[in-house]
Amino acid sequence: MKTSWITIAAISTFLAALPLAGQSPRTPEGKPDLQGVWTNATVTPLERPAELGNQQFFTKEQAAQYAKRMIENGNSDRRDGGAEADVARAYNNFWRESGTKVVPTLRTSLIVDPPDGRIPALTPEAQRRAAVRAEARRLHPADGPEDRSLQERCILWPAAGPPMMPVGYNSNYQIVQGRGYVTVISEMIHDARTIPTDGSPHLPSNVRQWLGDPRGHWEGDTLVVDSTNFTDKTNFRGSGENLHLVERFTRTGPESLTYEFTVDDPASFVKPWTVQIPMTRAAGPVLEYACNEGNYAMQGILAGARAEENAKR
Amino acid sequence: MRINPAAFLGAGMLLAAPAWAHHSFAAEFDSAKPVKLRGKVTKVEWINPHSWIHIDVPDADGKVTSWMVEGGSPNALIRRGLTKSSIPEGTEVVVDGYAAKDGSYRANGRDITLADGKKLFVGSQGSEEQSGKEQHDGK
Repeated sequence: MKTSWITIAAISTFLAALPLAGQSPRTPEGKPDLQGVWTNATVTPLERPAELGNQQFFTKEQAAQYAKRMIENGNSDRRDGGAEADVARAYNNFWRESGTKVVPTLRTSLIVDPPDGRIPALTPEAQRRAAVRAEARRLHPADGPEDRSLQERCILWPAAGPPMMPVGYNSNYQIVQGRGYVTVISEMIHDARTIPTDGSPHLPSNVRQWLGDPRGHWEGDTLVVDSTNFTDKTNFRGSGENLHLVERFTRTGPESLTYEFTVDDPASFVKPWTVQIPMTRAAGPVLEYACNEGNYAMQGILAGARAEENAKR
Repeated sequence: MRINPAAFLGAGMLLAAPAWAHHSFAAEFDSAKPVKLRGKVTKVEWINPHSWIHIDVPDADGKVTSWMVEGGSPNALIRRGLTKSSIPEGTEVVVDGYAAKDGSYRANGRDITLADGKKLFVGSQGSEEQSGKEQHDGK
């Protein structure tokens, strides 16, 4: 009967469109679908607080207590720290969009390796580089815009990645996929990082880029992004220009993905270290962050430094 | 290691310093120059990296000084449905902040309230709370 065939065809089409058991959603090209707006906001610290020793996971009770403490600590409406703390806290809390919970895994640190949840020690070379930077900041805190941080100069927001870390507000990322490319847009200072997944090799080593040179490939349901060719103008917790960063994106559910990265930089750290951050789907949208246009603060900072110098004369 | 919840909540617990703002407010504003400004909003710049609210502040003799008050990134507020029209021109506000180091008429909006003492906007909301199941990204 004709109707039955239509019904069967419709059911078959419907079943074909359903993801196979255990398989994450797919793009039309059949690749794992990571697209959407995601947030990594959380109160879980990068490094495990020393007080927790070897404890890798919070109990539920501790998780709630810790989140409460962090929300209180991060509440910029507090006026209990004196004038300097008031200025550092900048402005009211209503502007912010911080995380309010620990990560769903209940881990006590975002660092999952080494097991102590701490960043491995810096090598002597990396310590030397850090000392040189600190000395430059001390001697020339605000002679000109070049002395100020990259985020103050609207060049890039270090936590927006790579690697991507939660911050106090606008911790939003949009992932868009096309044939042979995945693009990660970060809200803070509007970087769009386009990652080729076509098997092409890294750029020649003399070509250095602010965000490194990312190359992606798929390992099962995971997008693996291998980045090299960084510059000496950025550093992630003391990393150097020869940082080799490996990021892994895996969908874990309709509303979640796991973002993991490994910092592999033997010139800077005594051993590699790995961070895991569960990301959740965010309502969005990711908004424009036109930073230079409204950056009156740079003028204010430099004018403030000149006023301080004049006052000392 | 078993952690005693009481010890865990101890005041000695070291907490990571939150990332407060896009730039150093300590480099721009002077903690030795607290100001309390009461005035009417003349313009709202709903921009990144920080919003600026302009207010006209009369002194005791009626002389008016125009001040610029620095707030946060508007993006989080926009996501909550608030726009620059949420602070209409003419709204009377009270700013409790610190003046710029260079002596210009700028201050940080350490605390901005409406004239009756109410908060300008409702309290902050965590990003995780905003991940709405009903609000997918339309793909």
